[in-house]
Amino acid sequence: MKGVIKGVLAEELENSVRMKKSYEEALGKLPKGSLAIRKIRGHEYCYLAERVGGKVRYKYLGKLSGVERQKYVEATKIRAKYRKLLSQVKKQIKFLKGSLRGKQAI
Amino acid sequence: MESRQFELCLEVLRRFNKEKLLDKIILIGSWCLFFYQYYFKKENVRFSAIKTRDIDFLVDRPSKIRGPVDVPELLKDLGFVVQFKGNKGYLKLDHPELILEFLVPEKGRGTDKPYPLPNLGMNAVPLRFISFLSQNTIQIKYQNIPIIMPHPANFALHKLIIFQRRIKKEKAEKDRKAAVDVLSALIECGESRSIIHAYNSVPEKWRKKIMKGLRESEANEIIALLS
Repeated sequence: MKGVIKGVLAEELENSVRMKKSYEEALGKLPKGSLAIRKIRGHEYCYLAERVGGKVRYKYLGKLSGVERQKYVEATKIRAKYRKLLSQVKKQIKFLKGSLRGKQAI
Repeated sequence: MESRQFELCLEVLRRFNKEKLLDKIILIGSWCLFFYQYYFKKENVRFSAIKTRDIDFLVDRPSKIRGPVDVPELLKDLGFVVQFKGNKGYLKLDHPELILEFLVPEKGRGTDKPYPLPNLGMNAVPLRFISFLSQNTIQIKYQNIPIIMPHPANFALHKLIIFQRRIKKEKAEKDRKAAVDVLSALIECGESRSIIHAYNSVPEKWRKKIMKGLRESEANEIIALLS
């Protein structure tokens, strides 16, 4: 039998691995890129700025309503949050794997 | 305890309280051990800090929750993502610091299907024996957040029953230790009667299981109290 602490850590590792997959899937579902607004002759036009192979490409979206703009802004915020949390989960996995490597029951 | 995890737990509770959910759900699981310290109000009462990231809430059947509260949406900006557990469609909310789940008492023959909670935009895992946790509850106020939890006696006796059903031995050991710690704290704080009362409220079959668990733990003082 593993020690109580190792048992908890093993369970946490399972959870973190599952979580990593969840965040990767959630990130995959979010629209890529961020909203860029250009003002041309007093009119605001929206573009989706996206990095493709090291270059930034602008995809024309047109004149978007406030609600539609907000959706893109929210998605950008959520994506940043998920990326940060994904990085946290990856660190947890590394730490937990390291902690479980020892043979001694704790 | 990691302060980031604790802060997140409080934020979840704060948001549930704002949506008037907290008076209809019961906090169960290892987070209770932390909040019980405020129930006992004795400086020397401290429980083991070993716990997983799970934060579980018990919802009664039928659920008393009326107004719709989209829980995944409510916690989305905190970074919680919806996770489907297993192939039956159980829902969990995952965050690197916390894993949130709802549980309901299992009734009748039991089922392996999740119990829908449409008012919360979630579903719940039906579990045997947890109705005992909602039979006798306490409420504490932490930073002005009212938190309902099972009475420590019910919490501990429930742990004594379920640790014997655990597949993972380490988890069983953790439950057994938590149960004995809480029961000892109750005795120390002069609440022995609440243990006797909770013990007498369960069916004979459960009492036998509790006694078996106590004998395994060599908790002679508690055995003497209940004999």
